[in-house]
Amino acid sequence: MIWLTWRQMRAQTLWTAGVVAAVAAYLLYLAADIRDAYRVNITDCTTACEEAAHTLADQFGSGLLLIGVLLLAAPALIGAFWAVPLITRELETGTHRLVWSQSVTRTRWLAVKLALVGGVSVLFTGALSLLLTWAAGPFDKVVDSRFEPLTFAARDLAPFGYALLAFTLGLVVGVLARKTLVAMAVTLLVFVVFQLVMANVLRPHFAEPVTETIAWADANTVGQIDSFGIGPAGAGIQEYKIPGAWVISGYIAVDKGDGTEVTGADIEACETQGGTPDDCMIAMDATFDVTYQPADRYWDFQWIEFGIAAGLAAILAGVAFWRLPRGLN
Amino acid sequence: MNTPVLRADTLTKRYGKHTALTEATLDIPAGRIVGLVGPNGAGKSTLLALAAGLIRPTSGHIEVLGRTPAADSAALADVGFVAQDTPVYAGLSVDDHLKLGEHLNPTWDGAFARDRIAQLGLDPAKKAGRLSGGQKAQLALTIAAAKRPRLLIFDEPVAALDPLARRAFLQNLMELVAELDVSVILSSHLIGDVERVCDHLIVLAESRVQVAGDIDDLLAAHHRVVGPRGTLDTLPDGVQVIAADHTDRQTTLIVHNTTGRPLDLPGADTIGLEDMVLTYLHRAEGIGTPTLQETRA
Repeated sequence: MIWLTWRQMRAQTLWTAGVVAAVAAYLLYLAADIRDAYRVNITDCTTACEEAAHTLADQFGSGLLLIGVLLLAAPALIGAFWAVPLITRELETGTHRLVWSQSVTRTRWLAVKLALVGGVSVLFTGALSLLLTWAAGPFDKVVDSRFEPLTFAARDLAPFGYALLAFTLGLVVGVLARKTLVAMAVTLLVFVVFQLVMANVLRPHFAEPVTETIAWADANTVGQIDSFGIGPAGAGIQEYKIPGAWVISGYIAVDKGDGTEVTGADIEACETQGGTPDDCMIAMDATFDVTYQPADRYWDFQWIEFGIAAGLAAILAGVAFWRLPRGLN
Repeated sequence: MNTPVLRADTLTKRYGKHTALTEATLDIPAGRIVGLVGPNGAGKSTLLALAAGLIRPTSGHIEVLGRTPAADSAALADVGFVAQDTPVYAGLSVDDHLKLGEHLNPTWDGAFARDRIAQLGLDPAKKAGRLSGGQKAQLALTIAAAKRPRLLIFDEPVAALDPLARRAFLQNLMELVAELDVSVILSSHLIGDVERVCDHLIVLAESRVQVAGDIDDLLAAHHRVVGPRGTLDTLPDGVQVIAADHTDRQTTLIVHNTTGRPLDLPGADTIGLEDMVLTYLHRAEGIGTPTLQETRA
């Protein structure tokens, strides 16, 4: 069975290994590049270091993002192009009736396919994930936003879980749909929807977020106000960042010391006296509430993300093992 | 060798609302070459897939060589199955297929397989996708036979072959059966093929088993009876009318004598296998049923 699995998967495995090797080579090159830039811009920095850090972030940000997206797509592609045809190609060519009438039970056939082909998929995806995590290390340290959805899902453990899930998903959809193209499309669609739901709906609730009241005076020591707006309606923070943490609050209203919201009139009144908006806010004892997931929850979240994906994968594998011995004709 | 090759009890397979096989009850002794005949869509492939364990019955029970089909590796090893259109892996070579057989069957007879491939003149390096229909069938037959099963099942092995290749394949199959000492079930919609190679017959039509038994017994028990109209209205117990045809003056019946004793009826004559099978197929399709009911009443 191992021989047959290898014989059937040989071409595509070698081909994919080539792609993985190419990406890995590029990551090694990128890692060296990032480390050079880190030494120049951060370690050996003497003047205008903040700017230098921004330069580094800008320089590698889009490239790493692209590879991250690739790493997100990899499990989906493996699910659609490896796992789906594993079943549907046999059904479409009728060869399932040849292979399943040899002296190997369908359970064993599936177990070997799942272990070997699924194992290689997880291995490839996981290896790239770890390599990317390592390569992007200095960059991630500077940017310090590991909870960024595209970063979080393309580092450390998460891709392992995704690879497991996408593979078993492709297998089960293949068993149910039986037509290669239909099953591929469904697998891709379901998996992309799953990733979106995971990032936007589930992940923010892995743990009860922390809500903290921050005084305006401390705003830029606790975190950093990236975008702040003043208008007739009042004052609000559009974007607030806390290093390494995941800020869940969207628009953040700012309150005065007496608990009422800062209004446009307040700010206008203050500005006519010649103060900067910052001085005005501090003068008003302004505070705001931020809801976020603290930075030290990163690994908990990685494990939970992996656990959910792996758990679903186990359920899907169970479905395949239940369904296949019952026959597919 | 006394275990029946196949035993089925009210075996039924439904796909949604469509019933592919209805309450088939069969008992096939060992050592037979069984022909399964019937029109396309009669349920032949369904019955054979059930026997090979590729699918499970909706209700009823089936046993092959005394065991649930495909229950485990040993049950699978006992049965060689060649599916319809003799599927092979187009991308794998002939030699790869033999390796597949070797790796997937503990009882694999490698020398037998290689000899057979050499005898057939197949190039071991050739991709199976580039073989002719006849060669593919031969390759599939070789794989099924080299695992040394006790039962070989063929689903329409010759349907895709031209007449010459068909004859050669069946000839070859017969030699193989003689050499291996194996029971065989093969399906066909060509009665001539079945008559040439089989000694046991199952007629399947409209998802039901119409008749089954050793061909010699069946031929001995089926008769065409001709008599003046009205004289054949009552028949001895155990003599079943399969078809009746009336003209103004005379009645022609095809009857199945299930009494086990010689049929004692004037005007009774033997019929050929093809006529017998066709009579059952016509009855299943409902042709001639009205007259049949008239006779029964």
